[in-house]
Amino acid sequence: MASSSSNLISLKTSDGTVFKVERALAKTMKTVQAIIEEADANIYMIPIHNVFSHHMDMIIDYYKLSVAGKSKEFSVEKLDNDELKDFLLAVHYLNMEDLFEVLTQAVADRLEKKSVGYVRKYFGIENDFTPEEYAAIRKKNDWAFKGDDIEPEEDEEKQEE
Amino acid sequence: MSDFLEENKLSDLPDDILLHVLSFLNTKHVVQTCVLSTRWKYLWKHIPTLTLHSSSFSTMKHFARFLSKILTLRDSSTTLHTLDLVHHGEIESRLLKNVLNYVSSHNTHLKELGINVRADTCLILSCVSSCRALTSLKLSMYPKSCYNFSETLFPNSLNLPDLTSLDLTNFVFCGGQNGCAAPFLAFNKLNSLVIHKCTVKHAKILRISSETLVNLSMHNNKFNIGIIELSTPNLHTFTFSGIPSQIIRGSGLSSVKLVSIDALMYSNDRIPPMVLLSWLLEFANLKSFIVSSTTLQVLSLFPNLLEVKHLFLRNLKSMKIKLHPHLLGLSDVLEEVMLKKAAAKSRKEATKLRKAFNAGLKPPFIPDGIVDFLLQNSPSAKVDITTIY
Repeated sequence: MASSSSNLISLKTSDGTVFKVERALAKTMKTVQAIIEEADANIYMIPIHNVFSHHMDMIIDYYKLSVAGKSKEFSVEKLDNDELKDFLLAVHYLNMEDLFEVLTQAVADRLEKKSVGYVRKYFGIENDFTPEEYAAIRKKNDWAFKGDDIEPEEDEEKQEE
Repeated sequence: MSDFLEENKLSDLPDDILLHVLSFLNTKHVVQTCVLSTRWKYLWKHIPTLTLHSSSFSTMKHFARFLSKILTLRDSSTTLHTLDLVHHGEIESRLLKNVLNYVSSHNTHLKELGINVRADTCLILSCVSSCRALTSLKLSMYPKSCYNFSETLFPNSLNLPDLTSLDLTNFVFCGGQNGCAAPFLAFNKLNSLVIHKCTVKHAKILRISSETLVNLSMHNNKFNIGIIELSTPNLHTFTFSGIPSQIIRGSGLSSVKLVSIDALMYSNDRIPPMVLLSWLLEFANLKSFIVSSTTLQVLSLFPNLLEVKHLFLRNLKSMKIKLHPHLLGLSDVLEEVMLKKAAAKSRKEATKLRKAFNAGLKPPFIPDGIVDFLLQNSPSAKVDITTIY
């Protein structure tokens, strides 16, 4: 098996940077772990597609904080919405459970109390409803839109029988 | 690079990831995603969490209608992982029964349950006991009439072997024959325990015994007992707010690394300062101490506090003091003490001080000398003072 000198795993990001990370950190990346286990011989360098060096920097920050029991101090506040999305995708690709939870929560926090239009834009969703279809689904589920002051299309609230 | 970004829009994530993000949101907003696009039309039906808070509806009628609809229209074969029902008021029996029936019929994999309502507590407790897979339980129940604040009896027979997190409000813990109440013995994996506004009956001691407990929080409890026995060798965090009135016996406090205390007192009582000091003497391994100004004020009322020399708080790395507004009753007691001290020096000083108090002078937020007293064995600890208001 691996010699003791391979305590570090080399990961190559999409933008060509090589990161030498502790085996323990690589273990938190299920995708990487699977690659290591499948390789017949020692693998020198593992390419991680969809992950950029700035993602790896943040992953290493999170790892260091969680090892020190300070994972609550990790913040993605400074990332704008697109950067957060990309980071979530990278972490999803690497299959890192804890960090994934943190990031999905962060995305949810940014979506909380936002209008339908905002959410659509955030997720990059194209509205493929016809106006009639939209009106129909909106009416059918109006029980979920009542008493909501965010939705601009909301009718004046009527007293229900 | 821009190709990559376009190809991997967030919306290209599989449904279960999207649902995962949505599961953090209020269920009302989750259902609203039905209008985003045809792909999202029915996605909401497979949400594994139900966060049902009446506060996101402007009237009870809307909330009631929402509840009926969501329980009927959600895809019944999708595993229910979490349910959180919050309504700070009376909930119609029929409506509550519907929710509880839904919980019972989806209890196989239910991991997290939260119920915060004014309702018939028996129904709720029997539903809770059927959810054997629970890892997290949060219960806050008040009886129906809004003038009735009587507590719910915490059942001895709650069989939830996988429970790691328990948060209880307004319960009464009953003692056994030995005059001791030990309500949490059966929870072998308990990690976090939070108790608010609870009380104890038929017992003189409340016993909390757990190898796995890491976090203990106690807020505004009405324990009319003198002793809490804490056997928690792995306790890391202790949080307290209210009037300190129980001596804490056992080794529980010695392992604690982080403590947060917001103590108060409304009248001249010997017990809270004494109890507070007794706790402090137990924190052998404390690294981080968060304390309100009122806590320091209560502590300062222990007679001759500053002369106490003890090898306590030897490992303190940081102390954060949060300045709270003055508490009326407590301020009066502090003023009395300051006047007595001034009078011991001279009548002139006492009169001067009395005049100042009448003119609006308040006792200092942080009593003189108390910070140095607390840091006597950890002089290099970092001190931070912040205002909360």
